[in-house]
Amino acid sequence: MKLPFQIALCIGKAIAIAARIVDNNRGTNISGKIATKLCPNFINHFKKIDYNKVIMVTGTNGKSTTTNLIAHTIAKSGRKTATNGEGANMMGGVATTLIKNSSLSGKFKKEFLILEIDERSLPAIHEVLPARNLVITNLQKDQVQRNGDPDFIYRKFEKVINKEITLYINNEEPRSKALEDKAGQVVYFSVDKNENSFEKNSFYCVTLPCPKCNHKIEYDYFNLESIGNFHCSNCNHSSEEKPQVKITNIDLENNQIECGEELYPITYTTPFYIYNYAATIAVAKQMGITSEEIASGFKTFVNPGERREILTYKGKTIHYLRMKQENPETLQSAIDTVAKDKNSKAIFIGFYEVKDFLPYYSNTFYFFDCNFQDVTKTPVEKYIVFSKTVCYDTANRIIYDGADSSKIEIYDYEEDISVILKKMDELKTNNIYILTGMKPYNKIKSFLAEEATKNG
Amino acid sequence: MDKIELKLVWLYPDILNLHGERGSVQAFQKVAENLGISLEIERIDNYTDKIDFENTDIIFCPPGELKVIPEVKKSLEIQKEELEQYIKDRKYLIAVGTTGSLLAKETIREDNTKIEGLGILDITGQERKMVLGDDLHFLIEKTKQEIIGSQIQMIDFTLHKAQPLGETIYGYGNSGAGNEGARNLNVIFTNCLGPVFVKNPWWTEAILKDAVLNKISLFSKEEYTIENKSFETTKDFIKRKPQIT
Repeated sequence: MKLPFQIALCIGKAIAIAARIVDNNRGTNISGKIATKLCPNFINHFKKIDYNKVIMVTGTNGKSTTTNLIAHTIAKSGRKTATNGEGANMMGGVATTLIKNSSLSGKFKKEFLILEIDERSLPAIHEVLPARNLVITNLQKDQVQRNGDPDFIYRKFEKVINKEITLYINNEEPRSKALEDKAGQVVYFSVDKNENSFEKNSFYCVTLPCPKCNHKIEYDYFNLESIGNFHCSNCNHSSEEKPQVKITNIDLENNQIECGEELYPITYTTPFYIYNYAATIAVAKQMGITSEEIASGFKTFVNPGERREILTYKGKTIHYLRMKQENPETLQSAIDTVAKDKNSKAIFIGFYEVKDFLPYYSNTFYFFDCNFQDVTKTPVEKYIVFSKTVCYDTANRIIYDGADSSKIEIYDYEEDISVILKKMDELKTNNIYILTGMKPYNKIKSFLAEEATKNG
Repeated sequence: MDKIELKLVWLYPDILNLHGERGSVQAFQKVAENLGISLEIERIDNYTDKIDFENTDIIFCPPGELKVIPEVKKSLEIQKEELEQYIKDRKYLIAVGTTGSLLAKETIREDNTKIEGLGILDITGQERKMVLGDDLHFLIEKTKQEIIGSQIQMIDFTLHKAQPLGETIYGYGNSGAGNEGARNLNVIFTNCLGPVFVKNPWWTEAILKDAVLNKISLFSKEEYTIENKSFETTKDFIKRKPQIT
């Protein structure tokens, strides 16, 4: 069934209202999904969209936070903005955002449209909504069952970028930076070498092939696992010496960053976040937002999708670090956080089979894209490794990186999480880390809450 | 007794850097230690670096993005004759995942462009439109070992004259037709990831043991030069002598 835009829009709006009444937290993209099915090129029919003020944010990691931060900062400056929520970053989600922010005649009612875009969906969405601003946070290994390798996504991006686009790219990330030649204008965002920067000298450390000439990329230092000042061993592909936006000082004591001659307050201080702040400054400045306005936005920003949580249970402090499956960068980021804690600790690790879509499978090879040595060198009382299928692979991975196997307990089941968590009571340490996905964590959280209630 | 020494070349670790297969190199190191073999591992980082084929026993080629294969092939062709002798000497050349394209005759990309391989294995590849990720369980025909892992299939491979490495018990293998990988002498290609030699140390062990035997037999061949020559001249004499009627 193909319907005129106007009718599809009305149906979309009705569904959006109904979805909100049923459950305000759900149905983030249902109205757009249906509307785009009913009307081909649905998104193309909206009026009064200034493409110079449409900002698409894509990339492997950090796109939700960066989108939220940009949207919050521009909105806080008094401009009218529309944005999509986390998980609504495909065609249906974008359509839903437009449905919610347009009149009955299809006129877009806001000044700015800031969209998080799924990497694979970018070409199709950009075709019907030709944004002139594209932020690529980074391009890294991720979701291999969908994407295969990073070059698969690189080729998708390549199709989209043209001379009308202003591209905002990470100056220290070799893959996305290689897209620079295709854009009309490029704004590089960067983070200078700082106290969290590091070098990798291990025999088994690997970098990546140059996206321009396929020779080896070399790093002078790293700010994150595969992000740092780089150069190609063969061609002239390298980090810019003078990027337009560069965070030159990170003051962790006073929670502020320095960029140019300005100081900006920040709430989140991990290296990933600093890049998100840098990207936001780059975009906001380009959109005419003043430094004061940006600072005001940063000061009030709260990330709804924060990956860290701290709980207390029977006098123990439990640090939860959320990780994305098949995403070595987020796993490494979690590992690095644990490694920074030099106190005695217990680590609960629950990596799972990959069940995003059929066929489900037991991929564990991405563990070997990460380094655990910095954790295994710290005092660890116990490693509790759990999950039905891949717990043995998990244990083997940490043994390969030096974990004492006598300190590892393996539980090859997941249904009864209580048995595993009762282990907490037996531990001497009060310092607990949990590395797992959202679903098992929620189970753990419920169990701990029940136990706390039982114990008064 | 002196430790037996082997050498493994880890080919272009930064360029062929996918799917954590550096773990397989660590597995060779670990299993060699368990077996009392002294395994030297050499990284070949740049295309200009030469491989010392004569003193190498195993060359490990991890999976890489398909776009890098032409450059890798070009670099190996510089030492083509040495590589050919290396293969004739039954030394190990192992390619995992997409790097099967390096050993294949050619691979056709989705846009119909062609990537030529070294043609060491009589197989051809076709890049898939959609990636297929799944578990993989197969039986190696030669050693009757069961291997388990996963695969990220970006290229379907068709075997021509090349022998399959094994038969699939579960999974897609080369193209969903029941065969997995390919083999010619000790040139091995597998789609299996895991890292494959971490998850299947029995295979790692079998390769190391065979590489030791191969090294000993190559050594014997050199040691028995006169006997070898005698063997050849006697064979020739038998062939040429008049038949008794």
